[in-house]
Amino acid sequence: MNDHGDDAQPDLSGSERRRLQTSRLIQYLLLQAVIAAACVLALLQSLPGPPAQYQLTAFNLTESGIKRAVTLPYFSSLRNAMHDPPRFSGHFVRPAGDAAQAWSVFLPRFTNGVEVTINDVVILDSRRDPAANRPDRNTPAIAVIPASVLRDGDNTIAIRLFIWGPISGFLDRIWVGPDEALRPTYNLRTLVFVTLPVVFSSWQAILAVILGIMWMMRRHEPAYRVLAGAMAVGVGQAFLQTPMGETPFSRLNVILISSAPIESALVLIFALLLSGWKWQRYAWIIFTPGIALALAGLFGNQALVRALFLIVAVPMVGVSLLIMAVVTARSTLQRQNVASFLLGCAVTIMLTCWIVDLLSVFQVLPNRIFVSRLSYSVMLVAIGAGLTWRFARALNQVDGFAGRLVTQVREAEEKLKVSFAREEERARAAALARERTRLMRDLHDGLGGQLVSIVALSERGNGSAGIGDAARAALKDLRLVIDSMDDIGGDLMLALGSWRERAMAQLRPHDIALDWRAVTPQGLPVHPELRPWHVIQIVRLLDEAVTNAVKHAGARRVTVRIETLAGADGLERGCITVEDDGNGFEIAPDGGAAGATKAGRGLRNMRSRAARCGAELELSSCAQGTDRGTDRATARGTHVRLTLPHRFPDSDGAIG
Amino acid sequence: MNSLSERSKAEAITVVLVEDDAPTLWRLQDALAKAGYQVRAAGTLAEARACLAQGAPKVLLTDLQLPDGHGVDLIRETRRRYPDTEIMVISILGDEESVISAITVGATGYLLKDAFPTDIAATVRDLVAGHSPISASIARFIVRRTQNTPEPPPGPALNTTKLTPREIDILWGIAKGFSYAEIASHLGLSRQTVPGHIKNIYRKLEVHTRGEAVFEAVQQGLIKL
Repeated sequence: MNDHGDDAQPDLSGSERRRLQTSRLIQYLLLQAVIAAACVLALLQSLPGPPAQYQLTAFNLTESGIKRAVTLPYFSSLRNAMHDPPRFSGHFVRPAGDAAQAWSVFLPRFTNGVEVTINDVVILDSRRDPAANRPDRNTPAIAVIPASVLRDGDNTIAIRLFIWGPISGFLDRIWVGPDEALRPTYNLRTLVFVTLPVVFSSWQAILAVILGIMWMMRRHEPAYRVLAGAMAVGVGQAFLQTPMGETPFSRLNVILISSAPIESALVLIFALLLSGWKWQRYAWIIFTPGIALALAGLFGNQALVRALFLIVAVPMVGVSLLIMAVVTARSTLQRQNVASFLLGCAVTIMLTCWIVDLLSVFQVLPNRIFVSRLSYSVMLVAIGAGLTWRFARALNQVDGFAGRLVTQVREAEEKLKVSFAREEERARAAALARERTRLMRDLHDGLGGQLVSIVALSERGNGSAGIGDAARAALKDLRLVIDSMDDIGGDLMLALGSWRERAMAQLRPHDIALDWRAVTPQGLPVHPELRPWHVIQIVRLLDEAVTNAVKHAGARRVTVRIETLAGADGLERGCITVEDDGNGFEIAPDGGAAGATKAGRGLRNMRSRAARCGAELELSSCAQGTDRGTDRATARGTHVRLTLPHRFPDSDGAIG
Repeated sequence: MNSLSERSKAEAITVVLVEDDAPTLWRLQDALAKAGYQVRAAGTLAEARACLAQGAPKVLLTDLQLPDGHGVDLIRETRRRYPDTEIMVISILGDEESVISAITVGATGYLLKDAFPTDIAATVRDLVAGHSPISASIARFIVRRTQNTPEPPPGPALNTTKLTPREIDILWGIAKGFSYAEIASHLGLSRQTVPGHIKNIYRKLEVHTRGEAVFEAVQQGLIKL
């Protein structure tokens, strides 16, 4: 399907990608070829043997009633020779002086079983060693010849070779000599062909447990389940014995011969699943060789099973390996995946070993050391390494993911905090606005209307002008209170805009002009921290200044200047100046106006309002009499200069 | 004051004045009558309708809270019946609650109840001359509605989508207390055109028909289709 996709896109990037894929494929294949060559070279190295002087190769063979001279190693063409086994007889000489030394017979390799007789005394029957009975294992045998049996000079040795299939019989060269000369070679072979497989089988058992746990915890990944099954079958195969007799137990036991095809089928499925293949119903065919073998074991006899094993199980293993080689190569190339790569290398080694074994079975090679089972350990190591790699990578991903998650959660938290604060601020403003609307409606319907009525009534009866003024002042203050509750977004200019209207309305009946000058175009800086109570204080302060000009100064013109000043500290400050051209007054040292107590109270009020807002208030007044006549506009009247703070205080400055 | 020419000019100007508070009614009536307007006074919605039935006045001045109904209905009826009549709402506080709701049904100005008699006459005269008064707080309310806030501020609903950027700039200037001259010079306009812009703003805020009302309600997200 992918190939079709590639063909359908003959664009530059497609051809580029194909070129890259091809070069990768060539690299991979070269590497596998090198691995296979190294394998073959290693297998061609013959295992070290004991000193050649103790080697026996010339024997007389009695096979099927015919007697002839043979040289070991010898391949028997028989596939079943239990009742009339081939008999090898020969001679060896023990030097006279060696009586004090223990002598042994060492048989490095034989198929399937041997019985060794020295001077007509049986000293070894390998059939009682279960490990030695398995033709797929290269189990060596050694037997110490009892001193009483051995004679100085010429001794006879006879070996009966029991053959029960599935492959033909084989007897390698044998050694008879001092035990100390033969034992090291035997130990080496035991280590490589007996102990090492046990170690790997234990490793396989551990893998089976690990994968089983993995399967329990991750039911959605069938690859682990399949591999766990394969490992379990492999362990069973390794530790169960080949039955020798025809008993019901052995009949069940013979099923286990089918373990090799079943295990290879499971490993094949694992490799397929790992490369992204989905389980299909038809895939059950993979198990047919194993099942056929098991059924043969249950209902047929052992000979049939063994014959079947050779023609069913061995090709099954080979075919599985071939498919796996292709699948893992493809997976490695497509995913650049370390686990697939390791598996691919292991498959190459196994495939090489399988071919070598096959050649050995067909007697193309002069020796019969089977390495397939041993090479399977490479696969086990690869699986273990791949699993560990995947686990480590998953942990790294989890770490990375957790780190990212922590960062994201922190960012989200920050955002949430900010938006929460904003939301709170908005809710507060909305609540204030709702409250203001309600208050406005209440005042409009009640107090406001009554005050207007008072104004109207006082105007009708001319004597009560004071009441009318008071009612008007009350209305003005009402408007101020309502206005200051409005959300002006920290722009004091918006509050001053309304104040200008009220001040003009207040000044117009007195024929006082209001000169409004916004010196800087934007007026005043914006103060996000500005609260309604700040606004009320500032506007009342300005009201006070205008009221003074109306009531006490006899002014004709009031000038309001609004500007933003850059202070010495580089911070911008708003500045509002109210000037009149009235009479002015003497300012007492305490800051109040001398003489006029009412005006004095007004000035003290202005100072305390400025202090609450953290603003600076400068008052200067020139009484008319002290006019020096240089510049009338500045020398005369009262000058109120309010410098706003850079930041309005949160709490009332007069209290703190 | 050039009272003679004022009087002759105001001669033809008829004003229907609707106010339920008797002292306030007398006061406004006096102020207007002294300025030479021909005033027909009404204390209730029914009386006002009767007055209007006699013919189209040049100006309708009405309070919103009336004993037998709401001034908004009167403004809407008058606007539909006499499109040339200038309508003003009489407000105590000059608040957006009453002024804006009157504007959306067709009023083009407001009058403070406690305004001085000379100011009352001047405001009506300006209105007839095509100069709609607007307060800083009303301008502030309108421009606030032009800003996109997730939650509209409380108060009467208002559709500001028809306002041009220039009109919004003018409203900002008014909200910040700048004079018409200052606004004109900042925006590169002629000083005389600013009042006309304000009247346009009022007209654009008016909800004309039922269909348009629905359309605008959808626009403002009040109705979800």
